[in-house]
Amino acid sequence: MAGICCGVVGEAAETSSPIEPTSRPSARRSLDLLPLKYIAADVSVPPLENSRKRQRLDRRASPARECDNAVHSSKSKVVEVVPNYSSKSPTLDSTSPTVVEEYPRYGVTSVCGRRRDMEDAVSVRPSFCQETLSHDKKLGFHFFAVFDGHGCSHVATMCKERLHEIVKEEVHQAKENLEWESTMKKCFARMDEEVLRWSQNNETPSCRCELQTPHCDAVGSTAVVAVVTPEKIIVANCGDSRAVLCRNNVAVPLSDDHKPDRPDELLRIQVAGGRVIYWDGPRVLGVLAMSRAIGDNYLKPYVISEPEVTVTERSEEDECLILGSDGLWDTVQNDIACKVVRMCLNAQKPPSPPSSPRREMAVDCSDKACSNASILLTKLALVRQSSDNVSVVVVDLRRT
Amino acid sequence: MLCKQDLETPTIKAMLNTYHASKLSSNQCGSSLVQTIDAPLPLVWSLIRRFEYPQGYKLFVKKCNLLDGDGGIGSVREVMITSGLPAGVSVERLDKLDDDKHVLKFSIIGGDHRLVNYSSTITLHEEEEEYGGKTVAIESYAVDVPAGSSGDDTCSFANTIIACNLRSLAKITEEKVCKVNQIKL
Repeated sequence: MAGICCGVVGEAAETSSPIEPTSRPSARRSLDLLPLKYIAADVSVPPLENSRKRQRLDRRASPARECDNAVHSSKSKVVEVVPNYSSKSPTLDSTSPTVVEEYPRYGVTSVCGRRRDMEDAVSVRPSFCQETLSHDKKLGFHFFAVFDGHGCSHVATMCKERLHEIVKEEVHQAKENLEWESTMKKCFARMDEEVLRWSQNNETPSCRCELQTPHCDAVGSTAVVAVVTPEKIIVANCGDSRAVLCRNNVAVPLSDDHKPDRPDELLRIQVAGGRVIYWDGPRVLGVLAMSRAIGDNYLKPYVISEPEVTVTERSEEDECLILGSDGLWDTVQNDIACKVVRMCLNAQKPPSPPSSPRREMAVDCSDKACSNASILLTKLALVRQSSDNVSVVVVDLRRT
Repeated sequence: MLCKQDLETPTIKAMLNTYHASKLSSNQCGSSLVQTIDAPLPLVWSLIRRFEYPQGYKLFVKKCNLLDGDGGIGSVREVMITSGLPAGVSVERLDKLDDDKHVLKFSIIGGDHRLVNYSSTITLHEEEEEYGGKTVAIESYAVDVPAGSSGDDTCSFANTIIACNLRSLAKITEEKVCKVNQIKL
């Protein structure tokens, strides 16, 4: 079944020897080999102009198709996030010494999995914010984020809709004095305040849930945010979702999960007068399995919304960036996730050179290899019995 | 173990002795929590007594189905818990419902959580004028200490949940009173 999911029907039709579906693998080891099947399928695609265009059409359709397979294989509800925020990049001066940044290539998969409700949210905002340089050149900042809600979905939904706008405002206000750590901390504080204000109003909630004020006090969300600029990767994390950079075949964590038994978090909670109780794992007051979150007003000041921020200089050795909820990371280790994505990216032809920007503009920002990588990671998590919503964002960081 | 010693007025003492003096077996722990509410007792009781609608004032309830009965004594409810908590479902039976003395007792008889042999008593009374004349809710419980846990930890967990619910009860009923008063003005 998983083998079938790896093959795209459109591609299979174009190959002289379509891959036969394998029986459902029971051993974990064989699951790790699945990406190889995908690679074989992709390599056999003839490099014809027509077939290339067909692939681009398939690119848009294939995520939905494969998610349908996901429904059958894992009996899960599927929520496919298809971003509609493509924006034309301005014409760049060809003599500019600055690295030319193309559209971000990324893939997103977000599924309900074995949980009853979907409470994850994903936000992808390419070129959400632009830095104005001399000679009126503009370089795009790209926003990627995963929010894993608990208690209900409306805090994660609010983060998805608002956090990128808050970041944009704060970045513009900072201007030349931009300092990413303090900026992101301010953004998360503002987001948390908006959530609190919303739950304190007696207005009719826009959320579909039956919960009403003050039940919203007990709703919260993780937030792992990555801002990708031409020179840097800024990650701000609050909770137990995670960001991992794949650099020169090595998995580099860009965030550190906020679990209540992390020694410094345990100490911070105790100093604040709280307790970490082992009740189905370490939990703040025995209730919440993470030590930081947006929302969860009833657990403040033990559960705080302050993010930990990392700023990483980009490098030629960077391959990809992976953001995921704990539904992914609980069952898929960092290095395995990087291997899966690297295989998908390597199976793809090298990205188009910058000399053909018009063609790139016509293409949806979701890159097929990244989409397939995110789908594969999600399936791997589900096959390994992940019991939570799974959300994955894969960003191709290779220089064009 | 009374959480708020300073609130122990004569009526609270009497209520504790009458309705909240549970006998703990050797492997059990328990506690009592007191919440003062600035709202009329009948209003507060109207929320507590609806066994079939715990989400009227309790946090962490996603949905509630009656498995047996119609909300009266002996009724059994299945409470779906919101995500993020160490429980998915709690099956609870209504053991006592006294509308004159404002006493409700329920037991947890099933579900997927670690609260075994949990029983709880909730009472309401009006405090005497000299002590403020407000409504006072007291909830006490007894529960087995799970293997690998301690009485301290178990009570800390249960107290957190109950305290949230009692604070929510106070907040909801006091807000209702505020709204009514605004209309009158």
